[in-house]
Amino acid sequence: MKTKSFIFFFLISIILISNVSALGITPGRTTFEFEPGKQETVHFNVINSEHKDVNLVVLIQGELNQSIAVSEVSFEMSASEEQKELSYTFTIPSDLSPGTHSSEIVVMQLPDKSSIGEAFIGAALGVATQINVLVPFPGKYAESSLNVIGPEADGKITFVMPILNRGKLDLVRVKGTIDIYGALNEKVTNLNTNEISVASRERGEIVSVWDTTEILPGTYRAVATIIYDEDVLTLEKQFNVGERLLDLQNIEVNEFSLGEIAKFEILVENKWGEAIVGAYAQMLVYNQENEVMADFKSATYDFPPLEKALMVAFWDTAGVKKGTYDSSIFLKYGQQSQQQELKLEVKNTEINVIGIGYVISNKSGGGTNNLTVILITAIVLLVLINLAWFFFLRKKVKNRIE
Amino acid sequence: MINKKHIIAIDFILLVGSLLLVAGLVSYARPLIIAPIDDLVTTENSILFEFEKASLILIDDNPEFTSPQKINVENNLVINLQPGFYYWKIVGALPSEIREFTIKSEINLKLKKSDSGEDSYQIINAGNLDLDVDILQMGEITGNIILKVDEEKEVSGTEFIGGENEN
Repeated sequence: MKTKSFIFFFLISIILISNVSALGITPGRTTFEFEPGKQETVHFNVINSEHKDVNLVVLIQGELNQSIAVSEVSFEMSASEEQKELSYTFTIPSDLSPGTHSSEIVVMQLPDKSSIGEAFIGAALGVATQINVLVPFPGKYAESSLNVIGPEADGKITFVMPILNRGKLDLVRVKGTIDIYGALNEKVTNLNTNEISVASRERGEIVSVWDTTEILPGTYRAVATIIYDEDVLTLEKQFNVGERLLDLQNIEVNEFSLGEIAKFEILVENKWGEAIVGAYAQMLVYNQENEVMADFKSATYDFPPLEKALMVAFWDTAGVKKGTYDSSIFLKYGQQSQQQELKLEVKNTEINVIGIGYVISNKSGGGTNNLTVILITAIVLLVLINLAWFFFLRKKVKNRIE
Repeated sequence: MINKKHIIAIDFILLVGSLLLVAGLVSYARPLIIAPIDDLVTTENSILFEFEKASLILIDDNPEFTSPQKINVENNLVINLQPGFYYWKIVGALPSEIREFTIKSEINLKLKKSDSGEDSYQIINAGNLDLDVDILQMGEITGNIILKVDEEKEVSGTEFIGGENEN
């Protein structure tokens, strides 16, 4: 028996060994600022993710390949070796044009050798660590991206544009304006950022905050125009305010008789600022063994923005006994599915739906608020005691002595 | 009978006592950071933030926290972040010290033999950033795919080379 198990696991191991290979490298990229002639030595690690005996070769690709020398061009890693540190020396060429120049060091794992015979099997797997050189542009040149952070709990959205000065000259005045457009391409608002200056090869940030508490939930588009000295940069990004959400508000079953068809009227509100089309409700009812005893769906419905609609689903209760059943309701639309757990209290002439309504936890930290109150109270008390002593009691006592 | 010496003694006790008490209160109220340790370097995208006496985590790429990611949280929390260098602090009754950590980018490709054909494989991005994978057949590039983190795709070729995706 033991021999059979050993052979079985040995065979499985052989299959797994020959069928899976994996390789890693870290870091994925190293970026250098352009300093002609400067020599840099960079360490990187090759990761033997599958813990196998592997043969590897190191290749240098790309326009900077003549300037890169690696510490090893081929090596082996044993199964017990988790990772191996290698290095490369990079001499930054002096004749690079403005912009980004790249090369990569590729570590290739040679295909697995068959345990029987000498034939190579499988494919070669390679991973690359990239080398980028940023050569500054003559004059003024900025790069940026538009990052949308939020909405926060207080409804505020922050637009952040990191400004990377890729030019040889300092940027004296950098500022931006952001136009916000709604789903119908109508302009909703216009925002201004702060103004900064960014030295050559340095980074700065311009920021603008938008309060969306009075704004309809939906999809919006931000178009940012960054003005740096006499040049302009335009960025664009789509973002959402609020959640694309159907809110289950109520479920009722009217005029019900056990054994007949129950009509579930499901009241749902579209909390999103755009229409949600093709939504439907699906209900699952579970028996005492937690098995699905009924699975029924409503028709599909279209919800105009921010409006409520009644979805109807039918459950044939033939053979169903009186009692309380666990149930799940799913509101499905697009790729989304919202689930809520319910209990159905089935009686002879009525079905009570238990479990509609959410408990929303208060996210503001009670504990830390208490601590703040204690801290402030104690400090105020100490200040009062000190004031009372130094400006009132002390004088009184002193006068009494004198 | 109270004399001038007593008054000076009360002055001293009140001042020193107040200062000690304020220092004690501030040190008691200051949020306590447990994890991650300062200057952590990892290739894991999921970072466990463990702390006490705070309700807000601020994470940013600069120590001035000009545009921080703000996370309201009562207890410890695991946050998924992209590779990069980060500053972070917590805020309770008082702000905490500022700590730093680095998530190193890791390129990691996994190749599994597929049943679909002789040169067919399942290729998986097991690293922590999106990959740009070149597919080669006997040394010639025949295709290129973008693999998101943990994404798996069926490919056909004899060599596969993955590097960080530019975008």
